[in-house]
Amino acid sequence: MIKRIVLTPRGFSSIPIEADVISPDVFAGKTLQEIRNLPIYYGNEEIEMKEYIHAQGKVADDPENQLIVIDGDARHIKQIGTKMTAGRIVVQGWAGMHLGAQMSGGDITVEGNCLDWAGAEMKGGLIRILGDAGNLLGAAYRGSSEGMTGGCIAVTGSVGSEMGSFMRRGMIVVLGDTGDFTGVHMNGGEIFIFGKTGKRVGAQAKGNGGFIACFGGVEDMLPTYRLDTTYTPVFMRLYLKELYEKLGLSVATQFIDTPMKRYRGDLAVSGNAEILIA
Amino acid sequence: MSFIHNGVEIEDTFAEGFSMWGSRLIITASTQKWAEIAATTMTGFATSVIACDCEAGIESVIEPDDSPDGRPGIAVMVYGFSRGKLSSSMLNRLGQCVLTCPTTAVYNGLPEESADEMLDIGKSIRFFGDGYQVKMRMGDGWQQRQRFWRIPVMQGEFLIEEKIGAKKAVAGGNFLVMGDTEENTLKAAEASIEAIKKVPHVVTPFPGGLCRSGSKVGSTYAFLKASTNTPFCPSIKNSFKDSKIPVDVNSVIEVVLNGLDEPSVKRAMGLGIDAATKVDGVKSITAVNFEGKLGKFKMSLRESLEGV
Repeated sequence: MIKRIVLTPRGFSSIPIEADVISPDVFAGKTLQEIRNLPIYYGNEEIEMKEYIHAQGKVADDPENQLIVIDGDARHIKQIGTKMTAGRIVVQGWAGMHLGAQMSGGDITVEGNCLDWAGAEMKGGLIRILGDAGNLLGAAYRGSSEGMTGGCIAVTGSVGSEMGSFMRRGMIVVLGDTGDFTGVHMNGGEIFIFGKTGKRVGAQAKGNGGFIACFGGVEDMLPTYRLDTTYTPVFMRLYLKELYEKLGLSVATQFIDTPMKRYRGDLAVSGNAEILIA
Repeated sequence: MSFIHNGVEIEDTFAEGFSMWGSRLIITASTQKWAEIAATTMTGFATSVIACDCEAGIESVIEPDDSPDGRPGIAVMVYGFSRGKLSSSMLNRLGQCVLTCPTTAVYNGLPEESADEMLDIGKSIRFFGDGYQVKMRMGDGWQQRQRFWRIPVMQGEFLIEEKIGAKKAVAGGNFLVMGDTEENTLKAAEASIEAIKKVPHVVTPFPGGLCRSGSKVGSTYAFLKASTNTPFCPSIKNSFKDSKIPVDVNSVIEVVLNGLDEPSVKRAMGLGIDAATKVDGVKSITAVNFEGKLGKFKMSLRESLEGV
């Protein structure tokens, strides 16, 4: 049986709050009082969560049955759902940086926009952002050689730069536009963009089965990608069918049997990644 | 001993089935025509392991809405005496008959949870790509994990699932339709096949599902390991002293079935027999067995009809 806790931020703070405790894994099995007393950071000061976020509702015994609803603007709250393994979080507004970073299961829905680093180094689960997402969506942290290794991020709006950097596995779907360096250093995984794709897409991508499918055009292509052919790949039908059936993205069905230009690169790093452009 | 079903005498005997390894594949193509061509070619010369490398047949038509890639498809089943033989037969047949066939793709039709073993079929065929094959991953971390291989070919790209499920299955389900004329017997046997097609996970590997020349083990000729089933040949019923042909029977056709499990084969036998007995001119139904010496499955005709 799903138990629901509602978190209400007590106003907006210009000083960021780091709250990696907002996770079904942390909440499950605790009392409401224990949850209210969980430590969060207000700038560099450790405080109890209740000072900035009011919590009420019911607590589940296990993370799978825990639903956390954040009722209000949470753009100043970082690390919501970081490292979560199960359960569900719904943010009824904006969400701050590092949302769902390194998560391995469960799902998060953000009804507004989401700031940078959402789903960074994600391992599993599903993040749905109904507004726009910031830079470095599903990216690797600086110095890390692997970004996303599993899971799915679906963005209804547009996304900033360096989306999916060092991506290894998993899927990112964007219905809007993407910024520059989409899929930079990509080494596996799948990216689908239904809006316009920014400059230097796939820069330094190595391949390993990874591809970027662009259905709304590309601002420009790197000269280190080679155009092989225009064809209608059967495998794309499987993905487009999945986008429609599992994520409800009806736009995907419009592109079944659409011929696609197949580019292969990035030759600057002897890569064999693919960029497929409808 | 016998009993009556729809006014036809059914001998109270059993079909003797034996173990084989079975697999189920889904072949899709841009049109139903090409899916059928690929499936028919792949399941050709695969009637009986007496002289073929495997037994295979078309199980069903897969509508585009039910197929993995939304294109028309055909489900085929392949049976071999061991995992190794099944694997090599599938590999050869897929390589020569489906990979070569325009627009086709191949998917596993026996999910891992129902299979005893997952065979590396796509993983082996990938080498045809000569280094340009692409591993395709789906579902990592949020859906069921799936793996495919995309192989560049002259027409475009061949897509095949990495692993194909296989399980210990049942072969040798059978019954004999005995009628007054060749025409009525064929009509009744055809009705059987139409009924059997409704049962999932069962195939009838012989031409059109029918075998008009059932065999017995051995021969009067030392060099021949199987020969015509003399007790069931109507044209010599009064010449062959141990003939089992009733006086009013002048034609016999055998229906042979393989299935992924015994209940499916028995259900198919029941539906097939029931359909045959509804055709005018059918006089008797019986089954072939070797008194339990050949296989471990004894599929009673009476029990199979209880499920109808």
